[in-house]
Amino acid sequence: MAFVSSGYNPKKPMENRITDIGPRKYDEFYPPVIAKNKGKWKYHEILEPGVLVHVSETGDEVFTVRVGGARLMSVTHIREICEIADKHCDGHLRFTTRNNIEFMVDSKDKVEPLKKDLASRKFDGGSFKFPVGGTGAGITNIVHTQGWIHCHTPATDASGTVKATMDVLYDDFSKMRLPAQLRVSMACCLNMCGAVHCSDIAILGYHRKPPMLDHEYLDKMCEIPLAIAACPTAAIKPAKVEIAGGEKIKSVAVKNERCMYCGNCYTMCPSMPLADTEGDGIVLMVGGKVSNRVSNPMFSKVVVSFLPNDMPRWPEMTDTIKRIVEAYAAGANKYERVGEWAERIGWERFFEKCELEFTHHLIDDFRDAAYYTWRQTTNFKF
Amino acid sequence: MDIEAARETILTTLKKKSKSKSKFYLKDFYKMIPDEKPRAVKNVVNKMVQDELLEYWSSGSTTLIGLKGMGKQAHAEDED
Amino acid sequence: MAKHETPLLDQLESGPWPSFVSDLKQEAEARAKNERNIEYQIPVDAVDDLLGVLELSFKHGRTHWKHGGIVGVFGYGGGVIGRYCDQPDNFPGVAHFHTMRVNHPAGKYYTTEYLKQLCDLWDFRGSGITNMHGSTGDIIFLGTTTPQLEEIFYELTHNLNQDLGGSGSNLRTPSDCIGSSRCEWACFDTQAICHFMTKEFQDELHRPAFPYKFKFKFDGCPNCCVASIARADISFIGTWRDDIRIDQDAVQGYIAGDYPPNGGAHADGNWGAFDINKEVVNICPTGCMSMQDGKLEIDNKECTRCMHCINVMPRALRPGTDTGLSMLVGAKAPILDGAQMGSLLVPFVEVNPDNDYEAIIEVIEALWDWWMEEGKNRERLGELIKRQGFQKMLDMTGIKPMPQHVQEPRTNPYIFWKEDEVPGGFNADITEFRKHHLR
Repeated sequence: MAFVSSGYNPKKPMENRITDIGPRKYDEFYPPVIAKNKGKWKYHEILEPGVLVHVSETGDEVFTVRVGGARLMSVTHIREICEIADKHCDGHLRFTTRNNIEFMVDSKDKVEPLKKDLASRKFDGGSFKFPVGGTGAGITNIVHTQGWIHCHTPATDASGTVKATMDVLYDDFSKMRLPAQLRVSMACCLNMCGAVHCSDIAILGYHRKPPMLDHEYLDKMCEIPLAIAACPTAAIKPAKVEIAGGEKIKSVAVKNERCMYCGNCYTMCPSMPLADTEGDGIVLMVGGKVSNRVSNPMFSKVVVSFLPNDMPRWPEMTDTIKRIVEAYAAGANKYERVGEWAERIGWERFFEKCELEFTHHLIDDFRDAAYYTWRQTTNFKF
Repeated sequence: MDIEAARETILTTLKKKSKSKSKFYLKDFYKMIPDEKPRAVKNVVNKMVQDELLEYWSSGSTTLIGLKGMGKQAHAEDED
Repeated sequence: MAKHETPLLDQLESGPWPSFVSDLKQEAEARAKNERNIEYQIPVDAVDDLLGVLELSFKHGRTHWKHGGIVGVFGYGGGVIGRYCDQPDNFPGVAHFHTMRVNHPAGKYYTTEYLKQLCDLWDFRGSGITNMHGSTGDIIFLGTTTPQLEEIFYELTHNLNQDLGGSGSNLRTPSDCIGSSRCEWACFDTQAICHFMTKEFQDELHRPAFPYKFKFKFDGCPNCCVASIARADISFIGTWRDDIRIDQDAVQGYIAGDYPPNGGAHADGNWGAFDINKEVVNICPTGCMSMQDGKLEIDNKECTRCMHCINVMPRALRPGTDTGLSMLVGAKAPILDGAQMGSLLVPFVEVNPDNDYEAIIEVIEALWDWWMEEGKNRERLGELIKRQGFQKMLDMTGIKPMPQHVQEPRTNPYIFWKEDEVPGGFNADITEFRKHHLR
């Protein structure tokens, strides 16, 4: 492969440089029916799982077919999405915040051929390329982070846990039988690039061991003051260490009991890795939401402190999630989100209904906020 | 602000500290030019990157700034 | 024939949900075949090696990536994340495998023409693997080599009129919900303001300006579909001040069962016939609704605009027409001192593109001035508010305190009075005092 220049001159980086132009303007990409009816929409309806109609004051209608997508996507797959949009949607489409793909058509008779086309496309391995669903009182696509495919501090994989979970929850992606929508999110370490802290069910990768210290190389590879400064809990301090051969060298020491396993030091210093087969695994959190509907937005709560990484399909994790979904489906009132249901029946009852073990790890002991999570009343259930 | 003097102060300070530390938060630069508003100092620093005197180092979530080519990261990252 | 055996990953090809493994395999194969005769600028087997290294992680239960901080495009502090494989000899195709963030268009609408241009560029100069989209909203190009970064940036800016997104201590790529482009509930044009702010603050987006990351997210209504209230340093959430619009005929339609409640969202459940008292009036959190002589009445003054009734009866109820947005500040994920929701700072502000959103920009600039001056390294705005107090933020933004700012007033009386708030100041005359109080 020969290097092909774009026209960029590395010797003069500022020559003909274009910067600060921002993104393309959104309205270049609107389908005509959207451009025409923007701001005039009157109401919408979900005609069947994955198919919506929006009706405009002008009388126009736009029909949307929503399909799930792995957010990790090849250009081959994107070109296939484009081929579908060219064939059915005059070359327009959009993506949702939750990594779904939306194909829009401007009349009802175009919906069935589109759906049929989408359903006919499968990967060689047998999975759907474009499953229709993700609307209403069901489970939509899982928003997630990079995991082992591309990140340096994950405690688990993202695409793998998501695929395993969505396979188990697939019926609820293509149906709308739940009391309300149920949002599942996944982040592969506590830094939470994907903000999972307000999801009905959150899958969180978690490390349980402080970083290893590659003393012999640490001072050569890293600037010790930067590694120290990277630690959010001030657990790292400079240290002199004797290595094999008796030589005393500069390195760092970690106060293990202060370490929260965030991996920020590893970001600054490659001699402080923290990935560990036994140490790393999954935390499950439950009951968060971002909508202001009926009750205030809520944070998710930790209900399973640790599950081991069990590749490739994390069966213990998916079984637990399935159990929570089923208990919720059976117990919650119409319109009630997971967190609202848990608060109504009480968390003690939630653990019982979901057959989850309550352990000391689930009682908050992190800083001031912990107190407000303990029970300060005699109102509890046996 | 005397921009030339500010640039000089920044370079001298960074060189003096370069033995122990090669990368700094933006806020550390505010302290080097205490009489100026953060915004003004930020603009001087970012211009010095354009002029290839300084360079950024990004953790992904935060950005550090140091003298171009200094420090152990370039070698550790195989980019020297 | 695959370059690496992937027995663990192969087990993720079955099942109904789209398999990323199958997709990676089809891309690896497409690159090997190269039917488009592309002069690949990074190793042709990059995707094979990506599968290989991922399989190794599945086997080990550990990542095989290292972070790199230096790589980027010239003069930008964000938009590129350096990645190196820690097994470069076994997987040379991904030895250097950097991420680029490409600023997505507001609303995430695309034409296929544009997407294909992106695909062609990324096929040619990168791995051909993307995220559509990353958590913040950007289009993510996953994996290229250092020399290609500037080439890609040059092509993006010169040929595609497209810039990178933000990372590091910058303004992050703002994002928005679908807004009024296809939603009847949007109280402002989320795409217009999201695009405007992105353009307005390009310098802050590309070059470090702040103590830490800063996020804007725009939600058209309190349903918060982009989760702004949970993850944006400033969340802009649409709202209205007048009355919910009611179509009483449509209300009767719902009662009669002519229309499915909640826009048909519960079609597969056994919920029985729609009961407006049970499902709307009695669930209303403020109790401001009632049925009177068969008509739905709303005491709008008492309504907190939670959206429930509107969500349930979209044909009958719509937000009012005196619309604007609320600004909530300081949301963030848990690290370090716990998660924070956005706290209400501005209950209502007009959204006026004709004066370049002047009233909104004024608040943004005031918050930034304060945070740039006082924020510690890696302290998010929400943490600064906690450390220096909500009152301090009101001072810095010139916003008057009002009961809307709190869930409840304080439960302790430990008010730290300022000297100028107390008549006579803090220097009472002890001699004068002693005239009336013996030692």
